[in-house]
Amino acid sequence: MSSSNVWSRSRARMRLFPELLAQCSGEAAAYGKCVASTTTGKQELTKNMCVKEFEALKSCFQSAAKKGVK
Amino acid sequence: MNISVRSLQSLRGLSSGRRGAMNVFDRSTKRKQKEWASSLLDSDKYDYLRDEVGSRVADRVYDVSRTFPLALDVGCGKSHMAEHLSKDIVERLFLTDISDSSLRNRRKCEIPSHCVLADEEFLPFKENTFDLVLSILTHIINNTKYPVVVIQIHQVLKPDGVFIGAVVGGETLYELRCSLQLAELEREGGFAPHISPYTAVTDLGNLLGQAGFNMLTVDIDEVQVNYPGMLEVMSDLQGMGESNCAWNRKSLLHRDTILAAAAIYKEMYGNEDGSVPATFQILYMIGWKPHESQAKPVKRGSANVSFADLSKMSKLQKTNEKS
Repeated sequence: MSSSNVWSRSRARMRLFPELLAQCSGEAAAYGKCVASTTTGKQELTKNMCVKEFEALKSCFQSAAKKGVK
Repeated sequence: MNISVRSLQSLRGLSSGRRGAMNVFDRSTKRKQKEWASSLLDSDKYDYLRDEVGSRVADRVYDVSRTFPLALDVGCGKSHMAEHLSKDIVERLFLTDISDSSLRNRRKCEIPSHCVLADEEFLPFKENTFDLVLSILTHIINNTKYPVVVIQIHQVLKPDGVFIGAVVGGETLYELRCSLQLAELEREGGFAPHISPYTAVTDLGNLLGQAGFNMLTVDIDEVQVNYPGMLEVMSDLQGMGESNCAWNRKSLLHRDTILAAAAIYKEMYGNEDGSVPATFQILYMIGWKPHESQAKPVKRGSANVSFADLSKMSKLQKTNEKS
């Protein structure tokens, strides 16, 4: 596994994941709260119920990744 | 990786119904995962859970006031129990596991031991050989094939031999399971199982009873481990060789879903200091192979004291104290 292939590259990218997520803790918390509220409420969780919060989280994550990549 | 080969294998797995038991897990994948995990340079980093469970099972061996000339450790991994046992309790030990690199990297122990590369479902030993069988079967094992394993263990035990084991119980990793489920529901509209089904406490009693064990005791223990985040939980599980190997596993997990699940995990289950807990519920069981010397329930109608006398017990005790 000395050569760089798609698996080693994607694993390296996954290793950065926790740090990038830590930079977006506000958006992550908002998304988490949105999903968690559906578990206690009457309505079932359907697809894209919290899409606004998720898009905010994803864009924050992607901008952190762009900034952070050396 | 050949996705086409895997889907072929899964078709074969689903159609072959041996003895009516479902073939839920892909054992060859599991063996590969275990080999990979034990060949990691820092594989010791991931041993903490097995070491903990191993020491607790060894404690239970000490609770039984007997010496065991010959013992067997089924699915021993890197032999996490033997280092806690001493030569006066267990005189000779056989270690079996499905992956040979774990056996090669096993811990040293003072008990003279032999290693056998064997699959838990096909133990290559004669009947009535062992006085003690130990096993820590983490969620790797086919829970649907567990009856086969237990019956094999029952066979290789001597009469009045004891089986002390630990399996992973139903509440294990419920945080991870729920987070992934909710994330997939919200992101993709449906969810696939990513965590294998575990044994429930009630099932365990039935399993052991049906295999022919006597005097069963089952108790539950919960080990909670804190991690920085969901990805660390998943990478540690992978390092332990516990990745999903069920036939019906999805081959990929979307990046969005991972992100969503990590956020949900932290929000729903996170601790104050920012870490997230992962619960491992371990079920410990002790079962004995029947023997005439063991206490049996007495015949119906042979009672010579009545339950009504229970109320008089305290008076009896007082009179005994006074005299």
